[in-house]
Amino acid sequence: MNQTDTVFTELVELLRNFPGREYSGDINPDTLFFGDLGFASIDAVLLGEMIQERFNCEFPFHEALAALAKAGASDLPVGQLADFLRAHLQDASAGR
Amino acid sequence: MPRIDVGPTTLHYQQTGAGPDIVLLHGFTSNLAMWMFSGIVSALADRYRVTCYDLRGHGLSEAPRDGYTSDQMAHDYLALREKIGLGPAVMIGHSFGGVVAMHTALIEPDAVTGVILSDSYFPGLAHLEPNLEHAEVWQDLRGTLHKVGTTLPSTIDFDALFTVIKNLTPEQSQAIEDDLGPAATRWLSQIPQLGETTAARETFEAAGLTADALRRIKHPVVALYDEHTPFRATCDFLVENLPNAVEDVVPEAKHLALLENPTAFVELVERYLKRLAPVSSEPPPAQPTHT
Repeated sequence: MNQTDTVFTELVELLRNFPGREYSGDINPDTLFFGDLGFASIDAVLLGEMIQERFNCEFPFHEALAALAKAGASDLPVGQLADFLRAHLQDASAGR
Repeated sequence: MPRIDVGPTTLHYQQTGAGPDIVLLHGFTSNLAMWMFSGIVSALADRYRVTCYDLRGHGLSEAPRDGYTSDQMAHDYLALREKIGLGPAVMIGHSFGGVVAMHTALIEPDAVTGVILSDSYFPGLAHLEPNLEHAEVWQDLRGTLHKVGTTLPSTIDFDALFTVIKNLTPEQSQAIEDDLGPAATRWLSQIPQLGETTAARETFEAAGLTADALRRIKHPVVALYDEHTPFRATCDFLVENLPNAVEDVVPEAKHLALLENPTAFVELVERYLKRLAPVSSEPPPAQPTHT
């Protein structure tokens, strides 16, 4: 399994086991964080904290959310979040 | 998860960046995520240590049954500050968050270097705002809930709001989301826990932060009020009566500048922080040259 698959798969696992949320439907890269999964903004903050714990890294989730708002988007596809996380992990491993 | 026991309750917080301390306080019925979505955390974290937290009863903080006055919340902040080792900070508060910031400046002046208010209404200045109960932001909300077959009183009544939201059917919640977008769902989701508390009453108590008490606050205060604010008289009072207050206007906003015009809001905050919390502008040290 390459890193692309691993990051997405682990992110989906976090989403499926999210405290207080039940979502049994398919989660694919186009699944929307708020619109499809029914998450709230504070859930996004909590997910950021869970990602930090799971991947053992400081995850600047506020940057992902700010980029989202700046782009005028009101929702976040799971695939886009995985892309952001993957890029951050690569930067972290490269010491940037 | 970053949660801190502050004595009477447990608070959830986030911190990022390095530099002088900036503290962000959200408004009543909101949570710290509003700061992250607005982009202000990202904008400030390259030169400030930015701390935001969920007030008691909000977001991921605990929701004790009572203790929701600005006085109690200021004490919550002071306990949080001590526990996580914050220095004197510029406190930026939206709406009720600004009231908590000013109350903190009143009871522990050395903890605060300045305050930036975003469209705050002060219970201690209620006499200045006779039209508060008919504020447009409430009428907008009333109209939205009316569309899905629920009824709110014509004047502000948070207990009634909490009851209506608690009893929404999934179909009504979906209709609201269809009308307002995902932001509405995010906001609605945390209301039920506040409905189990005394917050609706206590946040509207002056709790010692009277007009005279406000006059005694000598800190630099920037009153950022929205172009279409319901609280113009409050802004005027602050500028005319506080010893060190200035005002500015966030265009095209009517109480929720962070959502309605985040770009202008962040620009104004950054501009005033240059005065309230100057950061060394020395260029970074030159990198060694390799040949």
